[in-house]
Amino acid sequence: MQIRPILATLKHHKAGTLLIALQIALTLAIVCNALFIIHQRLAHLSQPTGLDESHLLVIQNQWANKPTKGDISSLLADDLATLRKVPGVANAYATDGYPLSSGGITYGIGHSPDKLNFVSNTAIYFADENALPTLGLKLVAGRNFRSDEIGEIGGRDKIAPQVLIITSELARRLFPGESAVGKMAYVSDKPSIIIGVVERMQTPYVDSAMAQWSDCSTLMPFHQLVTPTNYVVRAQPGQLDDVAKRVRAALYAANRLRVISPEDGVKTFAQVRAQAYKSDRGMAILMASISVILLAITAAGIVGLTSFWVGQRRKQIGVRRALGATRHDILSYFLTENLLIGVGGVLLGGVLALGLNLWLMKQFEMARLAPGYVLAGVVTLLLLGQCAVLAPALRASNVPPVEATRSV
Amino acid sequence: MLKMTHLSKVYRTEVVETYALRDFNIDVKEGEFVAVTGPSGSGKTTFLTIAGLLETFTGGEYHLDGMEVSQLNDNARSKIRNEKIGFIFQAFNLIPDLNVFDNVEVPLRYRGMKTPERKERIMNALERVGLASRAKHYPAELSGGQQQRVAIARALAGSPRLLLADEPTGNLDTQMARGVLELLEEIHREGATIVMVTHDPELAARAQRNVHIIDGQVVDLAEDPRFHTAYTAAAGQVRG
Repeated sequence: MQIRPILATLKHHKAGTLLIALQIALTLAIVCNALFIIHQRLAHLSQPTGLDESHLLVIQNQWANKPTKGDISSLLADDLATLRKVPGVANAYATDGYPLSSGGITYGIGHSPDKLNFVSNTAIYFADENALPTLGLKLVAGRNFRSDEIGEIGGRDKIAPQVLIITSELARRLFPGESAVGKMAYVSDKPSIIIGVVERMQTPYVDSAMAQWSDCSTLMPFHQLVTPTNYVVRAQPGQLDDVAKRVRAALYAANRLRVISPEDGVKTFAQVRAQAYKSDRGMAILMASISVILLAITAAGIVGLTSFWVGQRRKQIGVRRALGATRHDILSYFLTENLLIGVGGVLLGGVLALGLNLWLMKQFEMARLAPGYVLAGVVTLLLLGQCAVLAPALRASNVPPVEATRSV
Repeated sequence: MLKMTHLSKVYRTEVVETYALRDFNIDVKEGEFVAVTGPSGSGKTTFLTIAGLLETFTGGEYHLDGMEVSQLNDNARSKIRNEKIGFIFQAFNLIPDLNVFDNVEVPLRYRGMKTPERKERIMNALERVGLASRAKHYPAELSGGQQQRVAIARALAGSPRLLLADEPTGNLDTQMARGVLELLEEIHREGATIVMVTHDPELAARAQRNVHIIDGQVVDLAEDPRFHTAYTAAAGQVRG
């Protein structure tokens, strides 16, 4: 290996060497953290809701003539009957909210009516006996709501359900190591009996503030008599697109005094998910774009500097060839030179990456950067450097030995 | 040691063929000190580059140290250059970023020699040219004569069978040139085979034998007064 003479040569080309090493270092620092953010965002946006999303669509219905609570009760019943008759519809129910809807009610739930002494936050979803089969939720303990348990509730009514269905995560927090079924919990000043536990149901919120409660949801047996109303519809297998086209017409045919937005009044759950995680996906794309641009600029910098050095040292290369260097020797000289600059860059870059991560942790509550990302960044940048230097290094290896005898 | 028979070197373009060497014959015996002279453009440097395996030739035969070299691949030619040939260039051709020690080390590294042996050879070669104390100096810190001595040390360090010198004093003043020439003579007296290309008839006169090239061919000046006149005139212009 020719490491010592290469280092000696680099000492005489400090500016170019330092610039490229610094460029590699900064790229590594940014790309490591960007990859980490991308991975976190991708993990976030692929988090399961617990719902059978591929068969679901949601409809937001706004009544046009300001109906009373009594009117809404019968309108809801009529709409649900209408929806269930639409060809391809397997089931439907009305609710205030659903996972990833980015809006809804959140309560504290605990073992006493003391609101300050709750065990966990929980998202509240109003549901009936059709909610579980419609959403495809998996009941892991207890039972579903019965139709005789479903009450009606207005926008300003006090919420005091007699029975609840909760998620297994919420059950674990409320009653660790025990079965929650049959036990009492408080979401109001009156106790509610937990009659069932579903495996998973995500809250409506996807932001990091709700991350620690993201699987703590509670289903309450109510039809909410307010407008707008959300209908969740389950389509039979393979019928989702057709059902999405039919439901609007069916509802308008049943009652024209309503507004269902032509833009987003009817959405498949895939659209709900895409909208909920729009910022995560946007951030991942932005980070990926920045990473690609930085890597491309770094590669271009390496190609440019090495090409310049090859041109500058053409005579030297000829002399080395005349003194016995093979083409492979010249190729490996430039590859080794780049590797040494790269190693210097990634060592500095590794420190900068951790520093940047500490700053992001402090400023934006980002998680600690896993060492694997730094390692992946190091390998990526060293390989990128070797690939970038290959073309100019091959050009250098083709300098003929007779170049040594030519005057500049 | 070096034998070229009916050797030719042709540079071809789309419209013209130029013969740099034509029916070129030379035989340099082991231990000889041969000066190759001739006017500019006569083919001296082409001869040297082919002799040093820096370039290939178009036709004929070339035996170096008993080996026919025309069919050798690039790696084999590199190996022979490294092990059997020492080069001394007019412009010294030292690597400016490396100090004297590292410059002398360059051909030894390509030979894959172990560090202790390399170090011993380098210091011996530098002592041989009187520059052991300058091992850590960079070429820019040395005079032209000293730089050429370093180049000679680099050529000697590998113990080559053949030393090829291309105008070794061309960039030096008279005093430095004399010193370098005396060093070459000393190396020759110790048994080295030296082929030196030069414009300078005075320098050529110090060699054991002179070979004159005109128009890509070796000519015998003693037998051809036309060439003798032409050559003397050209040499006079160079000196003047």
